[in-house]
Amino acid sequence: MAHPVWQKTWSVTRRFGSALHSAWVWFRARYRGKPVRMTVLLLLLALSGYLLYLDITIREAFEGRKFALPARVYARALEVYPGLKLTPDEFVADLQAVSYHESPEPNEPATYKRTLKGVEFATREFVFWDGRQAPQRLRIEFDDAKVTLLQDRAAGDRDVPLLRLEPPVIGGIYPGHNEDRALLRLNQVPKTLIDALIAIEDRQYYTHWGIDPRGIARALFKTVTGQRIEGGSTLTQQLVKNFFLTSKRTLTRKATEVLMALLLEMHYGKDEILETYFNEIYLGQDANRAIHGFGLASHFYFDRPLDRLELHELATLVGMVKGPGVYDPRKKPERTLHRRNIVLQEMARLNFITQAQFVEARQKPLGVVHRAPTGTSPYPAFLQLVHRQLRRDYHEDDLRSEGLRIFTTLDPRTQRHAEQALTARLAQIEKARKTPAKTLEGAVVVTSTQHGEVLALVGGREARFAGYNRAIDAQRPIGSLAKPIVFLTALEDKDRYTLLTPLNDGPLVWRERGAADWEPKNYDRQFHGQVPLRIVLANSYNVSTARLGIDLGVDRILDKLVRFGIERRPPPYASSLLGAFELSPLEVAQLYQTFADGGFRTPLRAIREIVTAEGKPLQRYPLNVEPVAAPAPVYLLTAALQGVVREGTGQGLSYWLPAELRAAGKTGTTDGLRDSWFAGYTGDRVAVVWIGRDDNQPTGLTGASGAMTVWGELMKSLKPEPLKPALPENVELVRIDPLTGLRTAEDCETAVELPFIKGTAPTEKASCASPSALKQKAGGAPADKPAPAPGDKKKSWLRRVLE
Amino acid sequence: MIKSWRLFSIILLLAGLAGCAGVATRPGTVIGPDGAPLPAGDGASADSVPLPAVSDNRAVIALVGRARLDAGAGQREAAGASLERALRIEPRNAWLWHELAQVRHAQGQYAQAISLARKSISFAGGDKRLQAFNWRVIGNARAAQGDPVGAEEALKRAAELDK
Repeated sequence: MAHPVWQKTWSVTRRFGSALHSAWVWFRARYRGKPVRMTVLLLLLALSGYLLYLDITIREAFEGRKFALPARVYARALEVYPGLKLTPDEFVADLQAVSYHESPEPNEPATYKRTLKGVEFATREFVFWDGRQAPQRLRIEFDDAKVTLLQDRAAGDRDVPLLRLEPPVIGGIYPGHNEDRALLRLNQVPKTLIDALIAIEDRQYYTHWGIDPRGIARALFKTVTGQRIEGGSTLTQQLVKNFFLTSKRTLTRKATEVLMALLLEMHYGKDEILETYFNEIYLGQDANRAIHGFGLASHFYFDRPLDRLELHELATLVGMVKGPGVYDPRKKPERTLHRRNIVLQEMARLNFITQAQFVEARQKPLGVVHRAPTGTSPYPAFLQLVHRQLRRDYHEDDLRSEGLRIFTTLDPRTQRHAEQALTARLAQIEKARKTPAKTLEGAVVVTSTQHGEVLALVGGREARFAGYNRAIDAQRPIGSLAKPIVFLTALEDKDRYTLLTPLNDGPLVWRERGAADWEPKNYDRQFHGQVPLRIVLANSYNVSTARLGIDLGVDRILDKLVRFGIERRPPPYASSLLGAFELSPLEVAQLYQTFADGGFRTPLRAIREIVTAEGKPLQRYPLNVEPVAAPAPVYLLTAALQGVVREGTGQGLSYWLPAELRAAGKTGTTDGLRDSWFAGYTGDRVAVVWIGRDDNQPTGLTGASGAMTVWGELMKSLKPEPLKPALPENVELVRIDPLTGLRTAEDCETAVELPFIKGTAPTEKASCASPSALKQKAGGAPADKPAPAPGDKKKSWLRRVLE
Repeated sequence: MIKSWRLFSIILLLAGLAGCAGVATRPGTVIGPDGAPLPAGDGASADSVPLPAVSDNRAVIALVGRARLDAGAGQREAAGASLERALRIEPRNAWLWHELAQVRHAQGQYAQAISLARKSISFAGGDKRLQAFNWRVIGNARAAQGDPVGAEEALKRAAELDK
């Protein structure tokens, strides 16, 4: 079947053909001379060919723009149900994020009203992956930061067990050529904007056929009389000009433009042309990125979608059409303000706005945001991850043009907390250490423990601006974050290792082919003799970990990393045991996810479902799990990682988090203090934080003094669930005397409760040690080190942070 | 199998007439707040002894009800999606993981069915009956994978747990 463009072109050609034929008959009758006839024939042929060429060119340009529907990307839909942890303020913020408006009678869709105990609101219709959700009028009440009631106001206050709120759009995947778009349908364009544009640019728009003869005559007269070359363009002409942007203003160019405008109006309706105009018109430049269309310009200048702009802001955009370079609100605010007021005046004169509106709007400042965001998405780093995952399954062209709707896992609240924690802490660290501002960079990844969903992804401290995405692209040595895999391998060998097994932390020199002699050192430059396994991990001793790893077999341990979801196997050297290999923060999150999830690997996901533009389900990315480690050793490892936070290198977290949270985690510091890491988990969240410098210079930060403080700040604001992993059947909890490593009575207060795989716990009993004996022995090897008293604790982590 | 799902759906609908609300997204999908007997689908044995409630959270109950109806109607992908929604609310609910394992089994995704059943077992605590159900899913999935020895082993464990 012929392409519609060609069919139309053929019909136009036929019309031209018959017109040409009539002209030819007339010419033949009038001029009988052969040479003249030939010349005229050739001229007419050339003219018709040229017209045909223009027709095809302009229509291809127009159709290409018109039908490109970018993929729309949504955040997660908030599931609301009685019992959910949520405050009224958070809920209202969620409503506002999907453009709900406050109303005294919240019965229209997308309106709400605060009540004494909660909120009354009315939802919109929304098509989810699994079907349409009808609009509803609801009531929600809260108590003690929890939802206590959810009722359908339209159905006799029937209780509603669950509501899925419409998810906010967080971005789109747009046509290429360095052109970003926030495409609008004409019905999404505010009426005020249409009025303003027509008032100022082309009052005859709805009546002319593409050109304004009077305007052209005036322009021609001025040009011919040598005054100056002038516009006189209709909106249609402006659109044509915009398709083939050139600064040249010649008469031939103008003639071409006129012809193309006429052709465009022959083929398309006024509304179609206007809609394309709104999406296409050039409104500024951001380095190599052209700002096309009012949708994008609204984000670029005001950091808000178009439907949330006020009159004076819309007028500013309309004023800029005349020359975005001349009327640039950031570079030339005064001139732009003057121009904006002319637009407002013209609107008032034509009664599009009242005199009062005019006076009010004229007094307002321009209100542009100081620095332009890099795109239409508030979460460019997360969007990049989504885009990357999509590219594995879809053609780039389909993503940019088929109008797919993509439902993702992003939780805007978690994302906001992650961004705030990183930005605030980095600024504080720089200030406290008197390092130059903005030299530190960082990345954060937050996932849900049991589903492997990426809830937040921060690619740098300026999260709002796209650029180098450190969360997925920064490959950095992970240092001690690699240690848990060594300990897990040991704990899987239950006959040889328990959490209490003493490990040798004496000097070690390791020789292997293909690598220089390796002499691992501890961070404190000391050797600690015989140290119980769990204390080695808690204090992150390098030498004993390296010796343990070498005993177990380097290959055996590194193979395990691959099973845990790290795609590239680290180099087969013993130094890899201490994390002398590079991973991105997202890869580290994948690794810790498996620890957090009891040995089940769940590939991290950013996308849940994809639906076509028509609402047809296209694809789901289901939850997949794979057991890659036995539950018992993972349970023991988690207990050891909880020890890191309770009494080891992570104890500084007590500044942010209560002990009852029982968080598990590991600090990571690399050579020369270049990378500061913290990876850890709670009952429902896994989070990884990296801090370093883009130029890879030392930061002066350890994992504990840098990344861990961001982690603490973040988890504090997320209010996560306490970490209480399910106790595997073959694991028992035994109270142990930390001094002797022997069993104690159940009621011994100085004892610690430790998990053992059944049959491996010590059988010999010790009497309960007095607290003073413990204190005396504290820190000394070989016996276990008890948790320091609260005062000591503070001091030791403070010292660590300051060191 | 579909027959038993249907029968089960009817039981659910009857239970739902006791006046409880449906899922907001699909009015009319109703299920009793007391939970309901498990479907005697692949891997699970129909049991005459009443089973405990899947959850005391009505949102979860509603989603499970919807998932069961969808599964009964052959809409297994949608059933899986509803169970995943329920799991986001109660990620440590061993019954939900078990139901998801059953759905995957019915979809012919045997490896996933086994993994999910294992995950359910990891959260099952001392619930021997649920453990037995899961071992049965594992046994049936292994059989379908062409591993009769592994299947027998799993079914034997299920039988022991049922004692």
